[in-house]
Amino acid sequence: MADSREPPPLFNDDDDSRKDDDNDDLFTSAVQSPVSELTTPEDQTKQEGAGDPLTSPPPATSFPPDPSGGDRPDLFESCEEPSVGGFSSVPLEQPAEGGGTQQVSTDAQDPPPTPPTTPSVGSLVEIPLIVDTDQDLQPSTSSSSSLTRPDFTLFDTTPDTSETPVSSPDILSPPTTSNTSTSTTTSAQELSASPPSSSALLDLSMTLPQELSSEPPANLVDASSVEPAVMSSFITPAEEASVLDAAAPTNDDDDDAAAAAAIPTNLAGEDPALSSEEALVTVYDSETPEDPPLPASNILPPMGAPLTPPVAPITPTATPNLTPNVTPAAPTPVTPVAAARPSAEQLESESGDEFIEISISDPQKIGDGMSSYMAYKVTTKTNIPYFRKKHWSVTRRFSDFLGLHGKLVEKHLHSGRIIPPAPEKSAIGTTKIKLGSDKSSDSSSTDFIERRRASLERYMNRTAAHPTLRSDPDFREFIELDAELPRATQTSALSSAGVLRLFNRVGETVNKMTFKMDESDQWFEEKTQQIENLDAQLRKLHAAMEGLVAYRRELATSTASFAKSAAVLSSVEEHSALSRALHQLAESTERTHTIHHAQADADFYHLSETTKDYIHLIGAVKDVFHERVKTFQTWQHSQTMLAKKREAKAKAELAGRMDKVQQAQDEVAEWEAKVERSQEEFDRISRAIKKEMEQFDIVRVKDFKDMLVKYLEALMTSQQQIIKVWETFLPEARAIS
Amino acid sequence: MMDGMEEVLHSETNGTKSGRSDTVDLNDSTLQVDISDALSEREKVKFTVHTKTTLPDYNKPEFSVVRQHEEFIWLHDRFDENEDYAGYIIPPPPPRPDFDASREKLQKLGEGEGSMTKEEFNKMKQELEAEYLATFKKTVAMHEVFLTRLAQHPIFRTDHNFKVFLEYEQDLSVRTKNKKEKVEGLFRSINRSTDEILLAATQKDVDDYFEKEKGFLLEYHAAIKDSTLKADKMTQAHKTGVADSYIKLSTGLSQLGTIEGPRLEKFINKVSDTFEKARKVEGRVASDEDLKLSDTLRYYVRDGSAAKDLLYRRLRCLANYEQANKNLDRARAKNKDVHAAELAQQNACERFEHMSARAKEELNSFKTRRVAAFKKNLIELAELELKHAKAQAQLLKNCLQALQEE
Repeated sequence: MADSREPPPLFNDDDDSRKDDDNDDLFTSAVQSPVSELTTPEDQTKQEGAGDPLTSPPPATSFPPDPSGGDRPDLFESCEEPSVGGFSSVPLEQPAEGGGTQQVSTDAQDPPPTPPTTPSVGSLVEIPLIVDTDQDLQPSTSSSSSLTRPDFTLFDTTPDTSETPVSSPDILSPPTTSNTSTSTTTSAQELSASPPSSSALLDLSMTLPQELSSEPPANLVDASSVEPAVMSSFITPAEEASVLDAAAPTNDDDDDAAAAAAIPTNLAGEDPALSSEEALVTVYDSETPEDPPLPASNILPPMGAPLTPPVAPITPTATPNLTPNVTPAAPTPVTPVAAARPSAEQLESESGDEFIEISISDPQKIGDGMSSYMAYKVTTKTNIPYFRKKHWSVTRRFSDFLGLHGKLVEKHLHSGRIIPPAPEKSAIGTTKIKLGSDKSSDSSSTDFIERRRASLERYMNRTAAHPTLRSDPDFREFIELDAELPRATQTSALSSAGVLRLFNRVGETVNKMTFKMDESDQWFEEKTQQIENLDAQLRKLHAAMEGLVAYRRELATSTASFAKSAAVLSSVEEHSALSRALHQLAESTERTHTIHHAQADADFYHLSETTKDYIHLIGAVKDVFHERVKTFQTWQHSQTMLAKKREAKAKAELAGRMDKVQQAQDEVAEWEAKVERSQEEFDRISRAIKKEMEQFDIVRVKDFKDMLVKYLEALMTSQQQIIKVWETFLPEARAIS
Repeated sequence: MMDGMEEVLHSETNGTKSGRSDTVDLNDSTLQVDISDALSEREKVKFTVHTKTTLPDYNKPEFSVVRQHEEFIWLHDRFDENEDYAGYIIPPPPPRPDFDASREKLQKLGEGEGSMTKEEFNKMKQELEAEYLATFKKTVAMHEVFLTRLAQHPIFRTDHNFKVFLEYEQDLSVRTKNKKEKVEGLFRSINRSTDEILLAATQKDVDDYFEKEKGFLLEYHAAIKDSTLKADKMTQAHKTGVADSYIKLSTGLSQLGTIEGPRLEKFINKVSDTFEKARKVEGRVASDEDLKLSDTLRYYVRDGSAAKDLLYRRLRCLANYEQANKNLDRARAKNKDVHAAELAQQNACERFEHMSARAKEELNSFKTRRVAAFKKNLIELAELELKHAKAQAQLLKNCLQALQEE
């Protein structure tokens, strides 16, 4: 599974830590687990059960609070990445002290947490396993797809683990490496696109290192037999976001099984360890295509049917980010939640000092003809600890940016995050450049490149400004990995994916138009209205700005041509003083031309482009809102289904057909769970959106202020330059005699 | 709306006349002519021509008459066609009042009323009205300049037709040329221009000064015409482009402020106000550039063209003179009608010499006039540009300061 890619820096760090520490295996396993943290009530419950026997009694008590909705809000608020992570992940980690902490560290990539992890292997091991299972649920990772493990396995394993701690660590170790290259990511996206998750399946997810996977096939089979609903939502181990995504899919209950089934084969690969301990299925994420040592794999949650029901709702909660924070707390198994909160706060406060600045430079044409492309140098400066360096550069091509955006959307849209839109593809502009013999051959293509460069830069910085998005492994890989990224094939408008996307979009549009949601939340009602108004107004404003830019350019051009003409006139003029004055006039107007031109650029880059960005951002906001509506629809659907099932049950009872009653009873229970889950999901996304919008509003207001101030400053500079120009001209005019 | 505008114009022109009449400087007060008032009535513009004079020919020392554009053209044609004035640069006729552009825009604005907010519409309307007013003032100024130059010229001011124009209280009842006359005029002008080209190609000038002057004027005319065109484009882009976009920007921003609510509203409103003010400044920059730069250029396009006409007439005269010489030679050879030929030759010679002397004077005065006008207008242009740029810089500075205090 591990690809040839270089491991992302993050991973590397992990690796180093491992080496330092004796328990490399543990680390790795830990890593995995955090990633895939699951937060299903069931898991919690399981954990409780498992935890008691295994290691620490306290965890059980502590857990319940986490899963409970009450805790969540806090977590959400505290961590910018609201949704998932808070709950389940936290509790899990804590119980498995060593493993948990380590995991956290890896996920969070925070250096501090790692050291503590080392401790007791055996107990740790057990815990990690549990954790892994959780993780598995969420992440049906990219490359391999998702595996399903039977729940029962988990249970079994837990008790077993104590006995065979060693083996478990081994198993665990591989996970970090597994982060897959592009292929994985793509698969992940696909997965997310098609909601694979069955709620039940989601509950237990295990991420196993590749090695582990080798043996598990048998297990897999078992799992399948068990009928675990497997969730194939993938997650890059480190990310909470991914977890969230996974949660989202869970709602759609139906599809999962099939997806899950597919995965197992991949898994089969290697691990003896797994076999020994667990029947759990692990899915590897091949996202980090690197050395074997770093297996960052996300484990898919195998669902044992039994486990599933309670667990499902919880699943969404796990957030990798949280976990890292949590880790420090981990040593004390007690009240994981409490520990988590402070950590979250820390995050926030930290984020205030954190800075990351990305600049795009040196656009370069690579290749010839239609197969050529533009490459850009992406330079990052940051003080965020999980980046390996403070300052570095990589080279990326335009489609890489689009690919990154696609990945982020796949992973984070479900959880209600506003994902900054990537610059648009421009077939005309691109073709022009491709066919153009050399760069800078004509001004329109240089303009185009510069515009694109600037918009890429804004895009990257917007994305980097979002704490969740910037810690996304794909994002980090994008800015850190000093090698070519796998070609993003999904971005081309003509590719099959493009066509598919088009269809999806048409479907969505129809859905948007036909489905009118009864808005119960006044906040959303107002916000939706405001966003609509904002959209319309921004468009209008943007048109006005475009007009201004065009007119100012025209002014600059006509000023330049007047300058030329005045120069001719001055050469014709026979009166020498007047001729000199006219010549001076020509020069002055030439200079004003330059000023106007620069001002037109300022009009464009300060005003027009920022406004355009916001029009697109508003589009992203609408997408998020729509995502919520979809969640709502799922919920409604579940309710209708539940009603139907109840009716069927009542009928069956009336008819006195006891065999059917039993079946109906099961179905009712199943749908009740689904309703509960989807409602929870809906609440979650609503909260996440509110949180996101709050941030969005703040940033927007700030951006607009900055934009206007900058623009006014530019205007003022222009006027000052004009003053200078005419001040030098005036004596010349006076000198005419 | 146009009616309302006329009212405004009526009073406005009064207020600005002092500023206008100094376009041509006159120190001599024997005959002072200005346009004290102008009224736009539908298609026509009525100019009130006010005269103050010490010349004995006039009945009264001060009087006013109402004249229309056509009467100005009639007056110009009288000068143009008078053989006696062939040696002079005839002041170029004022351009026809043209408010079509403004009217058209107004109509467009009316059609587009639905698509913009009331505020925006009002601002646009104001802007158009201002533009209309500016055009109107310019038209009046052009007519005045024409009269002033005539009044200032030692020969022209004694012209009878001019006196009638100034003094006759009734309508001169000039009619516009009928078709026949128009065709004739067209024919004549074609004739003339072919003659001009022919002469330019075949007639060798005896005087280097005129030869040089001719070359200069040809070049100059082409160059200044081009400059005028470009300057017009420039001011146009400035005015209808940039200044008007500021309106949209300003209203767009203030609406955005309303939507954004309290967090941004105050801030944005300040910016929006600034844009509104900046737009006024930009508008003034554009119209001052137009007035000081384009109009100066434009005037000297026409004046240069009048000077070219003078040169043509002189060349024609030279050709006639040479023809007379030839005729005289022929007559002498045949010994027939020698006296008549001699007389004709002498006349032509005198005429030509007289004309050359006049023309030299005229060309020199053209040059002086031109340099003076350019100097004055360029200085004013620079001063106004400075003034506006400073005003705008200050405006922006104040705004930025206010924003920072937020």
